[in-house]
Amino acid sequence: MSDRPAPWLAIARYEAAGRARGSVVLTGLLSGFLLLFLAFFPSISSAGIDLDAYVESFPPAFQEAFGIISISTIEGFLAVEFYQFAWLLLVGLYLAYLSGGTIAGDVASGRMDLTLSAPVARRDVVFGRFLGLVPLVLLLNVVLPVVAYVGVFAVGETIAAERLVAVHALAVPYHLCCIALGIAVSTLVSRAGVAQRVALGGLFALFMFESLAASSEYDRAGAISPTAHYDPSAVLVNAEYDAVGAAILLAATATLVALAALWFRRADLAG
Amino acid sequence: MPAIECRSLTKYYGDVRGIEDVSFAVEDGEVFGFLGPNGAGKTTAIRTLLGLLSPTSGGAALLGHDATDPGDSRAARERIGYLPGDPGLDADRTAEAFLDHQAALRGAGSREALVARFGLDESRRIGDLSRGNRQKVALVAAFMHDPDLLLLDEPTSGLDPLLQEEFAALVRERVDDGASVLLSSHVLGEVAALCDRVGVLREGRLAAVETVEDLRSRGGKQVRVRVAEDVSRADFEVRGAMNLRVGETVSFTWTGGYDALIDLLDRFTVRDLEVVDAPLEEAFMTFYDGDVPGPGSRGRARGARGTRETGRTEESAPATGTDAAGGDR
Repeated sequence: MSDRPAPWLAIARYEAAGRARGSVVLTGLLSGFLLLFLAFFPSISSAGIDLDAYVESFPPAFQEAFGIISISTIEGFLAVEFYQFAWLLLVGLYLAYLSGGTIAGDVASGRMDLTLSAPVARRDVVFGRFLGLVPLVLLLNVVLPVVAYVGVFAVGETIAAERLVAVHALAVPYHLCCIALGIAVSTLVSRAGVAQRVALGGLFALFMFESLAASSEYDRAGAISPTAHYDPSAVLVNAEYDAVGAAILLAATATLVALAALWFRRADLAG
Repeated sequence: MPAIECRSLTKYYGDVRGIEDVSFAVEDGEVFGFLGPNGAGKTTAIRTLLGLLSPTSGGAALLGHDATDPGDSRAARERIGYLPGDPGLDADRTAEAFLDHQAALRGAGSREALVARFGLDESRRIGDLSRGNRQKVALVAAFMHDPDLLLLDEPTSGLDPLLQEEFAALVRERVDDGASVLLSSHVLGEVAALCDRVGVLREGRLAAVETVEDLRSRGGKQVRVRVAEDVSRADFEVRGAMNLRVGETVSFTWTGGYDALIDLLDRFTVRDLEVVDAPLEEAFMTFYDGDVPGPGSRGRARGARGTRETGRTEESAPATGTDAAGGDR
């Protein structure tokens, strides 16, 4: 048994390898999406419309939801049109959806029976399934800042590389937290399709709650949502790097994975 | 130390009974068969033994390790091979990638030999493989680390007769090397050919545990005799003779002793005589109230397997049914 890798590592590798092509395709699609928006920027900024006055007329809750600080600069434009929407919401929801199907899907398909008939602890499966999605998060957050930097340059603008790096570095804890949320749901809900929708719907509900709470007297309650601790607009427009938010997200990630392992340890696998 | 020791193992899914009070032991080097129709609890018993389900009550030990303790059972699983009834394989991965992964989890000393033996093309996507070939992938995964205990749930479903033979040979080789086996089936012939003892599961309970030999002897002898004299039914309507048919040849199932049979035949000039074991199906009738184990009556729509099973049932059930009717005439 000495030449065999640790079970969690073997599981993580296998899952990551199975997802390799999908990860590359997703990275390519999001890169294209980013470049498409960037291509709009020159015409919008040269149109002579006061976009900031326009967005200031939006209700506070809407401004909060989409992190609108400024939209007329390249930083503000990227933050609102891409990071706040695609990176926070779209990728976050997708990751929760994806991870929501992991454990529950394996149990439903009977794959889990084979895995657990090997000398593998249940926590190895939870940890391995979580780690198996980490390469996707890393790939996205390593490739996209490069694409964004080159894209901004291509439309004749400049952006501080430091802010782009930061907006992606801080996205990693947020994305990991989305995965951990999905994994936790996946150990609680036995049907894969339901687990996926619960994870996705749950994260979206948290996002909505946070957005609405922010403009009410209960604004502190919004901190329960992972989306409250990652603010691409603040990073890109104001160069505010929320290290505490990242730490909270990492702690939440660890807690959710630990809870998932605990729940799964006791679960009957309804084959 | 028995390979499997099952003590009053009970598993309820909520209010629904999976298995109840199942106790048996599989000795070292023994092949033990679970026989029963679908829904009798065979799979529940095996999955509870593996720790995939936690028992409602009772306990079990595998290779001397507590099967209900996650840490302890993990040590046992180092030396266990498991073939699920409906193996969950990754349709979108190649057989090679899947077996690489299984090897990383359990080891794979005999992988190459098994792949060659079953003629498996590892480069193909599992989703593109036929049902029989997918079953081969699962078989390789179950056997490739040379386990000491094999838990095989409906192992030959989907395999053609030639591969069933190959599989049976493989099981016998592993047993010769010291492995113990628990296999489940609803096909009596398969169990009879491979097992030393059989546990009959019925509605979640272990209705009986018998050696295959006992079952055979209890099933009586099939006697076919041709005599010189003209005979009538009355000549053979004696105690111990069942399913009597009188024609050119006289045939019946003999449940008495050999001496009594010889006494019976002594009255005639015997031209030809054949005495063989009665089909095991007849021995099992007692456990199933005339319903021979098999899915024919209960039916399970699972594609190719369903068709094959029905075929088997038709071979055996009507034969015994007709005989039983004939005996009454």
